Amino acid sequence: MPPSGIPPKRVLPSKESTLFKELLNLYESRQLKKGLKTADQILKKFPEHGETICMKGLVLTHMGRREEGVELVRKGVRLDLTSHICWHVFGLIQKGEKNYEEALKSYTQALRFDKENLNILRDTAHLQTQLRLYDGLVDTRHTLLRLRPNLRQNWIGLAVAYHLNGSLQETKRVLEHYEATLKNIPDYDIEHSEVLLYHVRVLEDLGEFQEALNLLDVNAKSRAIIDRTAIMEFRARLLSKLKSDDAEHAWQALIQQNPDCYQYYKGFFSNNGLDLDHPTEETRTETLKLLKEFASQHSRAAAPRRLALDVATGEEFKELVEPYIWSALDKGIPSLFADVKALYRDTSKKQVIETYVESVKEELSGSTPSSSSAPPTTYLWTLYYLAQHYSHISNHHKALQLLDVALAHTPTLPELYMLKARVLKRLGDPFGAAKAMDEARVLDLQDRFLNTKCGKYRLRAGLEEEAQELLGLFTKKDASSPGADLEDMQSLLFLTEDANSHRRNGNIGLALKKYHAVQKVFREIEDDQFDFHGYCLRRFTLNVYMDMVTWEDNLRQDPAYVQSAIAASQIYVQLRDDPALLAKLSTVQLTDAEKKAKKKAKKAAQKVQDDSKKGVNQSAHEDKGLEPTPSKDDDPTGIKLIQAEDRLEQAAKFLAPLSTLAKDNIDAWIATYDVAVRRSKYLQAVKALTRAQALDSENAELHVRLVHFRKTISSLPQQPAEPVGPVLASSLSKLIPEDVSLETYNSQFLQKHSTSDKAMLAAAKVLHILGSPISEIESTVFGVFNPEVPSHVTVSLDILSFLKEVNSSRAEEFRKACDSKFELSTLFKSAEELAELRKHSFAVVEAEEDKEEVVV
Amino acid sequence: MSSTSTRSQPRVSFASLTPNNLGTVRKLNSVLFPIKYSEKFYSDIIQPELEDFCKLVYYNDVPVGTICCRLETIGEETKLYLMTMGVLAPYRSRGLGSQSLQEIITAAAARLKPKITSIYLHVQVSNTDAKKFYEKHGFKEVSVQENYYKKLIPHDAWILERAILSEEKEKSGK
Repeated sequence: MPPSGIPPKRVLPSKESTLFKELLNLYESRQLKKGLKTADQILKKFPEHGETICMKGLVLTHMGRREEGVELVRKGVRLDLTSHICWHVFGLIQKGEKNYEEALKSYTQALRFDKENLNILRDTAHLQTQLRLYDGLVDTRHTLLRLRPNLRQNWIGLAVAYHLNGSLQETKRVLEHYEATLKNIPDYDIEHSEVLLYHVRVLEDLGEFQEALNLLDVNAKSRAIIDRTAIMEFRARLLSKLKSDDAEHAWQALIQQNPDCYQYYKGFFSNNGLDLDHPTEETRTETLKLLKEFASQHSRAAAPRRLALDVATGEEFKELVEPYIWSALDKGIPSLFADVKALYRDTSKKQVIETYVESVKEELSGSTPSSSSAPPTTYLWTLYYLAQHYSHISNHHKALQLLDVALAHTPTLPELYMLKARVLKRLGDPFGAAKAMDEARVLDLQDRFLNTKCGKYRLRAGLEEEAQELLGLFTKKDASSPGADLEDMQSLLFLTEDANSHRRNGNIGLALKKYHAVQKVFREIEDDQFDFHGYCLRRFTLNVYMDMVTWEDNLRQDPAYVQSAIAASQIYVQLRDDPALLAKLSTVQLTDAEKKAKKKAKKAAQKVQDDSKKGVNQSAHEDKGLEPTPSKDDDPTGIKLIQAEDRLEQAAKFLAPLSTLAKDNIDAWIATYDVAVRRSKYLQAVKALTRAQALDSENAELHVRLVHFRKTISSLPQQPAEPVGPVLASSLSKLIPEDVSLETYNSQFLQKHSTSDKAMLAAAKVLHILGSPISEIESTVFGVFNPEVPSHVTVSLDILSFLKEVNSSRAEEFRKACDSKFELSTLFKSAEELAELRKHSFAVVEAEEDKEEVVV
Repeated sequence: MSSTSTRSQPRVSFASLTPNNLGTVRKLNSVLFPIKYSEKFYSDIIQPELEDFCKLVYYNDVPVGTICCRLETIGEETKLYLMTMGVLAPYRSRGLGSQSLQEIITAAAARLKPKITSIYLHVQVSNTDAKKFYEKHGFKEVSVQENYYKKLIPHDAWILERAILSEEKEKSGK
């Protein structure tokens, strides 16, 4: 007689019931082949038994027969909708696919039919954390603790759940309960130590500093907390917050421990009421006096000396900076410029440094070589410093001259070529830059940094194939291509640079593909945290865990994501605005690059197939896990991405995280506007413009959008209804004055910024929007050749592509004028000249062909 | 001025040649010598048995010179032939050449299989400074080879040679 409540179709006779239990055990111990046999044995008699079908599907999925397995699981669930096993299996499969939302739904179903299943509850908690559903998480953790209060983990799990949910008081209460239950803790127990430190942190966050300090001190003394550095840091911070007299000593002890940690100095000085970052006239003398004391106590520490440079001014700065710089030049510290560059924000400091380093150069350049004079390397590093200095203040010609002197002096220092590459890059000569970087690389082929830099510079010069050759030197040899391996390794440097390069070369399909790859990398990083929700609790590493959760929440602040999201959205907007472009890209013969990409992808797919065939032969019964194997690339040129109908939705998806994570980035708001207005989401559009205007009301690209928006709204066949309409109207009137015509508004803007090349481009774009004659547009942008206008290579490049976009007959004239104006730039060369330049982007092994003697 | 205050002692060190740092050797050769060396030269100097006799010279961690030898065996006797030695102009008169030569000679003295009996080299007959340098280090002129340089003028070269003593003697100095 079956127990009540179990549907008859699930009940198995005792023989099969034993077999089913065996099946579960076999699966747990991953004896997949045996498991499969057992399942088949049951199914022979009961082919409609849902739970067995699900289990068979699960086993098959593990064995790599994914499609078949998933199909069976679905079937099993349908056959027995009230079985917790079926739903659990379904959840496992979805979790393996990283489809956490759906997995949680399945787990919730499973819990309906088996409320106290510990495994399911634990997995549910992890899914709720991953999805940031903290209310539900607290409930789940409560249930777990109620069921197994003797497990330490369950207490901690609940404490953390409260913390994540913002109820720190509750966290504190749980921790107190938990600590009271503990008995016989072994000495030097790291896990217990971590929990106590976490408890201290919770108290600190609650503002209960005295209580935190007491807890810290008692447990430090009893050796329950064993992380000495953490104890000292917590103590110093807490004492400061308590305004205790002991705080100063605590900070000094930390500085003693590590005299190069800036954070400790910051703590020490702020405890003394001195703000290192914003010294005032009153605090300056005192701060400097203390820093000098630290410097004399720690003769090898750089931090107190460097901090003093931030604080000092005038004559005192001069006295401090000169020995600082001299010592670094003499030691040959390559990073000196990067170290002191921040001081340049103060122009008088910049001037003092320039004068001093020039005087050092003067003194050293005159000296005749002899063993008593300064080492020649000091002179060399002085030249290197000055070249960086002049390039930084945009005197690139002088930087190049200095580098020529330095290279004649010592042609074997890679840093010199690297800097030359950078200067040429800034001047707009990507080919010369790639060549200089290659010259650095061939000096030391095993240097990964030089190799990577050179790969990057080749991408900047549009040399995608050649870049992959180089990057391939350090990628897995059995990968289908260096690019594929770099994508697997989540190399954001490669993906973003490769995407940008394709975009510049007009291969926007491939560019979009790489931007999507960047998006995928961030999704993977986000997915990867899943395992830590369980692992960190098991290991009790709670402080770092909480930091990680915060970090994950802000993941897409990363410049690589922000830049890729904006770039991808711009491409989607471009495709939407220019159906001709779309048609051209869809029908046109494949370009060489695309052909190559297609061929490569085909080869790669073949390789994957071969590998998987091999794999099947070798290990047919090995556990393949639940994660799907990467499917083969069915869109090698990105054409499907270009043709996708939902392009604006895709763009919006890219941009969505930026509204909170890049809210100070005006380009992000402008991109958001561009997408929103095309999706007719006018409120979102006006909000983006308002945010952008608050950041920089004079931004040239914003100017274009403001005009575009008013024109768009006024030409709507019907004004939006309540409540959108009135909100829109009032926001719009705040953005742009109503009583001025757009034409006047535009010319006023141009007048206000009469020497800005960006403003000229913006004004021209507005003229285009307003339908002005092309001659007017042209004469506006040709204003950049007015000698009073300081113009920039990048802006001029944008103007050139804008002229081409509007089919201006003067585009070629503009290009030629730029080419002669930006003498050292190659960006304005003709297509033929560019093709020639590409060939000269590499180091020549031996240039001395004309040497007289050849030794054989 | 402050530049005369603290000064660290210059560091001189040597590195073995590998396919990876050959680019630095090429660069140095191209500015140091009026001669283009063949690909064979570059593949020879990275042979493992020459590791002790082919070096890059570093001054304060910057490569500024190179010294390259090959082994020549005639009959029973093995000699070291000094093919190239050079230091960038700004780094001369600081004892780098002497130190490099001493490094090679010490290594030669330590080599037992085969035992190296002497070290020799060619110097263009116009280059008296070079001759003096080698003589200071115990080299003697053994002969003049006529028309050694095909295109350089003068065409002739001195052959300078020095015996390699036992390891202890070479280590204790001349």
